[in-house]
Amino acid sequence: MSVFAKYRHAFLIGLQSNIVYRWGFAVRALFSLFHLAFVFILWGAAYQGQTTIGGFDLNQTLTYFIAILLMQFFIGAFNEDYQISEDIRNGLINQFLLKPINYYLYRLSIFGAARLVSGALALLPVLVALPFLKDHLVLPEGGWRIALGLPAMVMAALIQFTIAYIFGLLTFWFLEIQSFIILSLAVETILGGQIFPLDLLPAWFFRLSQWLPYYYQMYFPTAIFTGRLDYTQALSGLAIQAFWVIALLGLAQLLWTRGLHRHTAVGG
Amino acid sequence: MNILDYLRIWLAGARYSIVRTLMFRFDFIMWSLVEFFWMAVNVLLVAVIYEHTQSIAGWSRYQMLLLVGSSMLVQRFIMGFVWSNLFEMARNIRSGQFDFFLAQPGNPLVMVSTRKLDLDGLVNAVVAAAVVVYAGRQLGLSPSCVELALYAFMLLCGFLINYAILLITVSLTFWLGAAQGIEGSYFTLMEFSRLPQQAFKGVGRLLFVWILPAVVVSNVPANTLLHGFDPLAFLWLLTVTVAWLGLAIWVFNRGLRRYASASS
Repeated sequence: MSVFAKYRHAFLIGLQSNIVYRWGFAVRALFSLFHLAFVFILWGAAYQGQTTIGGFDLNQTLTYFIAILLMQFFIGAFNEDYQISEDIRNGLINQFLLKPINYYLYRLSIFGAARLVSGALALLPVLVALPFLKDHLVLPEGGWRIALGLPAMVMAALIQFTIAYIFGLLTFWFLEIQSFIILSLAVETILGGQIFPLDLLPAWFFRLSQWLPYYYQMYFPTAIFTGRLDYTQALSGLAIQAFWVIALLGLAQLLWTRGLHRHTAVGG
Repeated sequence: MNILDYLRIWLAGARYSIVRTLMFRFDFIMWSLVEFFWMAVNVLLVAVIYEHTQSIAGWSRYQMLLLVGSSMLVQRFIMGFVWSNLFEMARNIRSGQFDFFLAQPGNPLVMVSTRKLDLDGLVNAVVAAAVVVYAGRQLGLSPSCVELALYAFMLLCGFLINYAILLITVSLTFWLGAAQGIEGSYFTLMEFSRLPQQAFKGVGRLLFVWILPAVVVSNVPANTLLHGFDPLAFLWLLTVTVAWLGLAIWVFNRGLRRYASASS
């Protein structure tokens, strides 16, 4: 079996198993519209009496939040960390140690399939709400935004998945990792720009955030697509994002190797 | 079983939870930090927006902080007293382990809701209360003892409304089965409790202020501290509490009839 075929099968199995949970994703996507309503009400009230906040008008800010919502369903890690943790805790990981399959790539294939399903399902409620949303959508022109935004999106997905993978691997050392994950999620939520656009932070804090991996998870691709970054900023951002992808992959590999030394496979 | 029996069982559960927390101290510290960080997210949002604007729907920075603090206070009590019980209920319905509660000689809803306490949520209630006190001091508020007692009672109503919403959300598992993560929808809905009532307009106002009880839970208590007691608002809060709690119990009981168990 060729290398590609192995992971294609993993992807297809992932696709099937995620379609089983389609209602769960659909309900989450539907409730995400409620979150969007929260954003519209809050920022609508904040813009009363002024035309811009941080140099952007209300519609530009709302477009940012719509884009980041879709981004969450297309590239965000949902429960991959728990799945990996369960594999290690229950000993399911043992089978991967005996087969010619790379566990990271196997999990990445399933992650790709899951995001394809959740992304497609997230589009449905957004399409339903489109008659209302379209008056607020302001997408800047410029083909370069697509050309740079798409690789930024792919690398953002890799960063999201690899961070989740790293947290899952912590199970080699800790019995319970849920608190680490949710703590990290709180930091990601702020520094990934999901609560407010990062450019609204004080200048020193914003500059600091640009050196952290969280900036490149959701905010960076969203900011390219929605016109919050110019061409030069996007290019230099891509370089830093690539660095974080490589650094996190290195860390994941290191934890995998060290973790396996601690791992005890029981049973025959 | 009478109410004293339930109280005795609850106290035994609370004692067990405290002992368990003392055994897993690192876990307790981590979860306390988790709760603290999520509260910091809400406070940071207020801080960042008010760096760029003077008011949100006529509410100043510290009025908004008092509102957010009141909302967080109710939610900390939910996290401390019932969240993990109801979260596990959804999981137990899926796995069939819900049988364990049906076999107990008490009301299934009481038994399932009061099994254990989460001290991390309760510890962070102190932090949320500190946010309310800090905002109140910045606003120069000096509420009377009666107003403080009314505020506390209204927070209790808010707690019961939050519990009702969470129970309805989790009870949907009886019908949806495999819909994992549905419990999180509760947080999405209760996000609106951190917004001032005046920010809602049109359909949003109808839905979130009048139909769903998201806004009433925090706005009525916060307004009592800010502007004094309003009997009409108080009556509205009481009515909403009774109605949603009644609805939640009805949905739970209907769901219970659909529960197919997992035993052979």
